[in-house]
Amino acid sequence: MEFDVAYLNAQWPALMRGLWLTVQVSALSIVLSILVGVLGAAARVLQVPVLGKLVVGYVEFIRNTPLLAQLFFIFYGLPGLGLRLSLFWSGVLCLTVWAGAYQIENVRGGLETVGKGLREAAFSLGLSPWRFFRLVAAPMAIRVGLPSMLNTSISLLKNSSYLQAIGLAELTYVAIDRISMDFRTIEMFAAICVIYLLLVLTLSFFASRLEYRLNAPFRL
Amino acid sequence: MSASPLISLRGIAKRFGAHQALHGIDLDVEAGSVVVLIGPSGSGKSTLIRCINGLVRPDEGTLHIAGSPVDIHHERAWQQMRTEVGMVFQDYALFPHLTVLRNMTITPERRRGVPRAKAEEEARALLTRVGLAHKAQDYPSALSGGQQQRVAIVRALAMRPKAILFDEPTSALDPETIGSVLDVMKDLAREGTTMVVVTHEMGFAREVADRVVFMAEGRIVEEAPPGAFFDAPRHERTRAFLSSIRSFGEAAHA
Repeated sequence: MEFDVAYLNAQWPALMRGLWLTVQVSALSIVLSILVGVLGAAARVLQVPVLGKLVVGYVEFIRNTPLLAQLFFIFYGLPGLGLRLSLFWSGVLCLTVWAGAYQIENVRGGLETVGKGLREAAFSLGLSPWRFFRLVAAPMAIRVGLPSMLNTSISLLKNSSYLQAIGLAELTYVAIDRISMDFRTIEMFAAICVIYLLLVLTLSFFASRLEYRLNAPFRL
Repeated sequence: MSASPLISLRGIAKRFGAHQALHGIDLDVEAGSVVVLIGPSGSGKSTLIRCINGLVRPDEGTLHIAGSPVDIHHERAWQQMRTEVGMVFQDYALFPHLTVLRNMTITPERRRGVPRAKAEEEARALLTRVGLAHKAQDYPSALSGGQQQRVAIVRALAMRPKAILFDEPTSALDPETIGSVLDVMKDLAREGTTMVVVTHEMGFAREVADRVVFMAEGRIVEEAPPGAFFDAPRHERTRAFLSSIRSFGEAAHA
């Protein structure tokens, strides 16, 4: 059996539909997970009563359980608890909850670099702890935490392929679906690997542009 | 002189674990006056100045600003009073991710509700006063230590405080830039800005202070006008401190 380029050409529209879904679900989850990361880290470092402790538990739970188990819990478990989500939103919820836990730690790592001096300066100007966080600490922490936030985002993008397990027709689902009909295993997996690679490179490119911009104040 | 002092502390005490950092401090700062706090390291002067604006929250005592009491056990009360009492730190503490201009406008905008254009106009006027108008759009990392400290001073002024606290404002600076910062502080003193200054600059204390307060082991040992304080100190502890810094100064100049 040889590598059949014509076959791939024929499957291209289906792959593109899968790619589009992968991009949508990942982009949305990346944005939401960063939001979770910033707010979760805020709850921890500002020592918000109850919420701060809940965040610790959440991070530990997510980091120490398999993503696939989390996915099945959300898709098969939540309806039993009365929350029925579409395939798409189950996917977004799963990836956001998973990556959010890591983003909290990434932002928290960045916050460690914001010294006590800046906090005192902000407080002495009359800023509240929350305003200090929003105007000073978070922007600085995001700059420092950007490389690890990119790592988590790359993992999220690749882990979106798990969503095929619940039947969301993203890129990997399309490939497996076609393979089960046509048995063109090599062509399909080669094709989606190249596509994932290009996706991650694109994401890294934009992240490095952002990093360059955020570092402007620190270049002489 | 007005009836009540601008800043009035009574019985301010602070303990860190087993260490009693401040023992019931009483201190009055009249409006328009300059009070300089000196003393050996660990004497509690930095803790005391931080107790004036609640960066360190006193355990006991009362604090009045312009005659009104501050509820020392409530963060909200501190946040409110901090807009009226500015502070300048040893390490400048400019926000490194914001331009000089934004450093100065962000709190007047967010805290006093000044419109952006007006805040920028006021900030530029203040920068011009300290000779740094051309640095408005630069980031702090592009400024020397002395320039950053001058920005930090006018950043505090931009909030139009009733008084400014200085915590060793020149201790982190190169000798040649200390002068530029002290000049700005002398100008402020001449204009009648109320200032509380923790410093090791004895020349500044002698020239600018209305009153020098000497602290040791968390207590005020002696306070007097600078002439009397430096030339005729009453307490043995003060004399020992002054002679130790003088012999250090002579050694440095030898």
